[in-house]
Amino acid sequence: MSDLDKAIAQLRACRPIPENQVRELCYKARELLIEEGNVVSVDAPVTICGDIHGQFHDLMELFRVGGDVPETNYLFMGDFVDRGFYSLESFLLLLCLKVRYPDRITLIRGNHESRQITTVYGFYDECLRKYGSANVWRYCCEVFDYLALGALVLGASTELAPTNASIAADSQASLAEMEDVEIEILNSAGQIMNRLGRLPKQDQSQMTNPSSSPSQTQEASQNGAPGTGASGSSGGSSGNSTGAVLCVHGGLSPLIDTIDKIRLLDRKQEVPHEGAMCDLLWSDPDDIDGWGLSPRGAGFLFGADIVKCFNQKNDLSLICRAHQLVMEGFKEMFDNTIVTVWSAPNYCYRCGNVAAILELSEDGSNAGYAPRSNGDVGRSNGILQDRTPEQIMGPGRRYRVFDAAPQDSRGMPAKKPVADYFL
Amino acid sequence: MSSSQDQGGRQSTFLGRLDRSKPHSFSIPAKKINDGDDLAFFLASTAYRDLIIWLLQLNRSMFPTRDDDGKIAPSDLTLPPPYSVRIQSLQRIMQALAGLIDKAPPNTGPRRFGNVAFRDWFKLAETEAAGLLQQNLGDALQLESEEGNEALGGELIAYLLGSFGSAQRLDYGTGHELSFLAFLGCLWKLGVFEQGEERGIVMGVVQPYLELMRTLILTYTLEPAGSHGVWGLDDHSFAPYIFGSAQFGPAIDPKAVNMPVPTEGSLQAAPSPSTVVKKDIVADYKDSNMYFAAIQFIYDVKKGPFWEHSPVLYDISDIKDGWGKINKGMLKMYAAEVLGKFPVVQHFPFGSFFAWERDEMALRQTSSVHMQQQPAVSKDVAQPPTRAVGTTAPWAQAGRTTGSGMSGMQASTRMATMRAPWAGNATAPLRPMSSTTSNVTTAPWATASRPALPGLGIVSTAVPWSAGQRGTQPPPPTGAPWAKKEEARR
Repeated sequence: MSDLDKAIAQLRACRPIPENQVRELCYKARELLIEEGNVVSVDAPVTICGDIHGQFHDLMELFRVGGDVPETNYLFMGDFVDRGFYSLESFLLLLCLKVRYPDRITLIRGNHESRQITTVYGFYDECLRKYGSANVWRYCCEVFDYLALGALVLGASTELAPTNASIAADSQASLAEMEDVEIEILNSAGQIMNRLGRLPKQDQSQMTNPSSSPSQTQEASQNGAPGTGASGSSGGSSGNSTGAVLCVHGGLSPLIDTIDKIRLLDRKQEVPHEGAMCDLLWSDPDDIDGWGLSPRGAGFLFGADIVKCFNQKNDLSLICRAHQLVMEGFKEMFDNTIVTVWSAPNYCYRCGNVAAILELSEDGSNAGYAPRSNGDVGRSNGILQDRTPEQIMGPGRRYRVFDAAPQDSRGMPAKKPVADYFL
Repeated sequence: MSSSQDQGGRQSTFLGRLDRSKPHSFSIPAKKINDGDDLAFFLASTAYRDLIIWLLQLNRSMFPTRDDDGKIAPSDLTLPPPYSVRIQSLQRIMQALAGLIDKAPPNTGPRRFGNVAFRDWFKLAETEAAGLLQQNLGDALQLESEEGNEALGGELIAYLLGSFGSAQRLDYGTGHELSFLAFLGCLWKLGVFEQGEERGIVMGVVQPYLELMRTLILTYTLEPAGSHGVWGLDDHSFAPYIFGSAQFGPAIDPKAVNMPVPTEGSLQAAPSPSTVVKKDIVADYKDSNMYFAAIQFIYDVKKGPFWEHSPVLYDISDIKDGWGKINKGMLKMYAAEVLGKFPVVQHFPFGSFFAWERDEMALRQTSSVHMQQQPAVSKDVAQPPTRAVGTTAPWAQAGRTTGSGMSGMQASTRMATMRAPWAGNATAPLRPMSSTTSNVTTAPWATASRPALPGLGIVSTAVPWSAGQRGTQPPPPTGAPWAKKEEARR
């Protein structure tokens, strides 16, 4: 067992690793991350996750529901730390997994992956308490500076990869085979809670690959374990390829109209208070026209028109972001052009929300073809050639919804020296 | 009404009163703290001095008492002192405000977290506030001129309405709680209360206020303002931990007003601090003690192990030196984490009662970390330093000698786990400071000329330019700490 595997095992048990190991880990992680562009390309299938906020036991529940690394390919959209009790264990585990399986897990930066924010919202306090010094916090912050700002999921299918999921007892889904499932919602036991069919487009023929019928290749995936829908070994279904999916922690920026502009940013720095990099990590969609001031004091609010325009210009079928608590775990907005995914159940021990992760399956019929959907002017060819300025057909989306991990057997820690105020 | 201040040049144990026989200009309170220099000024202001005196005056009143025969009277919410007409008036105001909840039912539709119907409640409260004050305290607030009345009402209402959270952000935190204490301080200065009824004020008004806030938080799922998540003392409150720990402190002689309150030991009958982790014991004491009432509320709203969601309170529960020690620590922590934090106090407005004036008695003060950490910090954030140099907490210095005799309290307000890492960092892009010598009112428990604390020394904690506490945040949405929010108190 390598040192790295030992560290992974230790962190999975929710035990921090020694400071010198953290330093080494962070050094390796930086070497790896520095090679990544600002916008990482990720091939479907992939499971996309939102905020974690140090809720370690819930992260373990996420892996139970979504499948483990490396079997499942994961993309985490930031906010690993702050507020929760186990930011350290959560972030270091994800980082270990990144170093161990660099192609099976993608980490992008959230607004909390920042020196300033972590000193306000808890991660700094936590490191000091758990190590007695700020060194580990400092190592982690150095890694934060190297995290990518976004990811582009390529090759996602309009179809959902089949699972052999049963129908949940309280399901609203019909047992009947649905012709064209666009959204499927599963509970943490992997049972189908709901299915939503794709709304018929007036003109499906605009898709240039009409022959690929949704009914083919219904062979079940390897096994019934959770997460197989996104498993790399799955045969995959063969729906149409959809436009790329942009994943970013917060949202859009008025300074960014093409994905290439994100690629041009110098990201290796503390998150600035303003500017494009800040906006990507801080902005929120809202029911407004155009841009609005954010009540957060950083980033902007942006409306449906902004999203639709951006998606069209960049050949995106969907923007996937996190950053905002949603009680149901996920929330699609603006005619399904943007979705918020939130992965911290019962946030802060009190919000009563469920969490969700989003699985996108791979486009079997287009295996190996990765549209370079980066918004180059005049690039639009291939499948999108004659597309009218209308929404690209979105990827099939399977949401797995889960509750907070049961709190049994977490043990009780020894008390730590109390704050100086009380000495 | 004579001012009870300045007996022999010492800081008073009692908040000074307004001389109502002389003309006085009331003024609508205004925001004054815009940057770190302003924070430094605040810490040396008469407003700061008065807030501290008022807090300590109320705190003292909550200790159990021992009479001349040595008989001990507990400090128990179920055994309150007789309430004066004025306290009953304030209780009616609290009841009326609570009654407005029925007229602003929470929205049942989809929502992210905070319930926007809170804005309806707040609007109702705004509409009713002046009438409620006039109706219930009109006789006490009588003034000569019509304009004077209006100005007074405006000043009081600003603090009162600042007490219930932010309608804009749908959150509530310690800054709002401070506003309520200031509101009561205004009434004290006006002579609405008699000396000796401080315990009645805390038990009869502050506790009902806290209960109203808990109802509002639950009804409208108000978010904690400026939460450190699990690493803060409490998501919303601070005052109940101060007053509740005093309730379980050793008994004091109520006449010996210049004696320091005990800083260690407990009332013999008090439960051990460690019992806060036992839900059944917390339930036993929640109706009699403010500390346990606050802990009970945490149990009501949070699911999960106590040590995990409330590690700071859990650590405090291990303190062996009794509730007096906890009380002292809470006061120090309050000075550092509430009054000393830019994110919290930046929203506190200043008028004629809590005045934006230099306190001439405040002694010299070396550069404080609060002055360095303020909103003007530029975007290229410097690396947090490994050690703080030459900075000291504002209250950790030669201070006024206090008549309240809190000198036994050391000003070691530093708290290793809560310090902003770049505190005192020479490389941080600091604004020009009002430098090494600004006058600051020291908290009465401050020790004399504390040298600059090495290393972890600085007390202070959060990023001061943060809009934290009363500012933008938490659980739900994270606010940018540097955000300068529009004031949402009105």
